[in-house]
Amino acid sequence: MSLLVLGANSLIAQATASHFAEAGHEIIFAGRKQDEPEKYANDFSIRYKVNCRAEYIDALDYPTHRKFVEDVLSKTPQLDNVLIVFGYLGTQEKAQADFDEAHRIIDTNFTGVVSVCELLAAEFESRKKGNIAVISSVAGDRGRQSNYMYGSAKGGLSVYLSGLRNRLSKSGVNVLTVKPGFVNTPMTYGMPLPKPLVASPEKVGKDIFKAMKSGKSVKYTPFFWWWIMKIITSIPEFIFKKMKL
Amino acid sequence: MKFEEIELSGFGKYPKALCKVARPNGIHEVLECLKSGSVISRGLGRSYGDASVNDSGIVAESLIMNKFISFDDSSGILRCEAGVTYKDILDTFVSRGWFPAVTPGTKYVTMGGALASDVHGKNHHKEGSFSSYVISFKILIASGEILECSREQNADLFWATVGGMGLTGFILETEIRLKKISSPYLVNKAVKLKNLDELFSNFEEHDADYLYSVAWMDIVASGSKYGRNILLLGNHCESTELTEKLRRKAAEKYVEKKISVPFEIPFTTLNKLSITLFNNAYYMKARSKTDFQHYDKYFYPLDFILNWNHIYSKSGLIQYQLNIPEEAGKDAVDKVLKKVVASGGGSFLAVLKKMGDQDGILSFPFKGYTLSMDFPVKKGIIEMCRELDAIVLDHGGRTYLTKDSILDEKTFKQMYNGLWEKWMDIKIKYDPENKFTSNLARRIGLCPS
Repeated sequence: MSLLVLGANSLIAQATASHFAEAGHEIIFAGRKQDEPEKYANDFSIRYKVNCRAEYIDALDYPTHRKFVEDVLSKTPQLDNVLIVFGYLGTQEKAQADFDEAHRIIDTNFTGVVSVCELLAAEFESRKKGNIAVISSVAGDRGRQSNYMYGSAKGGLSVYLSGLRNRLSKSGVNVLTVKPGFVNTPMTYGMPLPKPLVASPEKVGKDIFKAMKSGKSVKYTPFFWWWIMKIITSIPEFIFKKMKL
Repeated sequence: MKFEEIELSGFGKYPKALCKVARPNGIHEVLECLKSGSVISRGLGRSYGDASVNDSGIVAESLIMNKFISFDDSSGILRCEAGVTYKDILDTFVSRGWFPAVTPGTKYVTMGGALASDVHGKNHHKEGSFSSYVISFKILIASGEILECSREQNADLFWATVGGMGLTGFILETEIRLKKISSPYLVNKAVKLKNLDELFSNFEEHDADYLYSVAWMDIVASGSKYGRNILLLGNHCESTELTEKLRRKAAEKYVEKKISVPFEIPFTTLNKLSITLFNNAYYMKARSKTDFQHYDKYFYPLDFILNWNHIYSKSGLIQYQLNIPEEAGKDAVDKVLKKVVASGGGSFLAVLKKMGDQDGILSFPFKGYTLSMDFPVKKGIIEMCRELDAIVLDHGGRTYLTKDSILDEKTFKQMYNGLWEKWMDIKIKYDPENKFTSNLARRIGLCPS
């Protein structure tokens, strides 16, 4: 029993991993900043008395992904759970004026995830078991002027995951698309968000853990985002395009 | 660096001020806060007044810098980031036979906060305050340097930071010693007493047998009921003393049950009538007895009700905690109590306990007696507290900065005479430009001039 976390610095990832650790799973924290995955691995090994270790991965350094996956699998051959949390919100206005920003948003949220996820998917497919959860976003359900760069990358990711799930279902590998709404994390800190809609990372982490364990396909978290997005996606385009969203 | 503009206060919800709040994740972000202006760190905001409020700069929350760094299972020495809370420690270590050596009455306190307030618990008269179990800590000071402090290394900064209300720097890590226990239960002895005389003689009578001791005081009752109280004594329970049923329960994973006061009650439910009714019922129902209690119920009864401060409505509450020297003893407590009873402004949360000797500069405890009370904020309360200040000063006592929201500079400097000057010399050495400051610090003159 083990969990590989890609994007160790995320509070949502740590909250999800805490449930796996409590259930006795080995945790592998991977991230881009050298010392941080180590800090989390260390904390988890004290807190939950489980085996933990840190690995280095840069979402945008695609050529290194194969070696990364091989390394992880050689150390943990029985790896059975993966949680991918890579993400970059960026700034919409900056991305409109500067393609480098748009590029980074698209690559971190989409290309980077696809690159590493394919490698892990192939392994799980050949073994005919495994559990892959990837954090997409409600922002990917419909493009809005305030963050369509991020939204489109996440939207692409949701479509990718839907296809991957379709491919892997016959192999018994579960693919979970997680669509969080507003979560109280450093990513959203300082934004003027409607407080009652903002969930804690702990709440979202618990939802993800439960959804992974029960083999769900798509999880809106907290649940009410399913309703909110149902309404938002059902607004006719001729009205939607004039709305300030 | 990202900020949120929030109307902040301490746990007492009085006073309030609009602050720029940051939530740094790592040292580089704390340094960014320092570049943006003056800084006070804030953990869970459990100090009652304005100790973790700073409306002239930045409030930097330590909450996501909350990782365990190392733990030695043979000595019980834990090193962790300053945002780690008592709850984190209890959840992790009680089942392994370790307990915080000193704990305040809530587990929603960070290690950084516990150090900056040098918190004490029901065992102070025997085992001292939090700092007595601090081996060392790491702090980021105004120059941007990071220093390790202990009784041997940077000792002046060590002592100025203990009880220093966060004004010497941003505490990053603490290394503390936990206490070995053999069960999560305590032996709890309640002794129902009629007056202060009985209480003071019972303090002495049970001194040798119990580690924890605190008395609940009825500070509304007058006439023949004046001064009635219940002395609560306790010891950690050996697992061999437990009943079979409790032994089984102790081995299971502990699941907390909680209720919450979801919103501020819009009017003051606490008045002389409701408190008198409560206190009567509480005292009548109480029996002198001995039983076993789980640590969560024994140490943190109020944590069971999340946001219990909401019952004090929007206007909030004032906590008043005084410490008077042993020799002033019963007479001083009697004077304070008479004043409070006469005002009728008291609440049902009043405790009296014996305190022991304590090293430190601004650390609150010293050998004597401490009385802690809370009052709903209303007309006349501040004036009454000023009258209490005068009694306290008169007997060579002082009040607790962590609870305080009303002290003025002159009174503070009289109470901490000889100590604040010593502290200020160290403050000037490490933070001459007053980069670390708070509303409390400015109110009571803990700033280099």
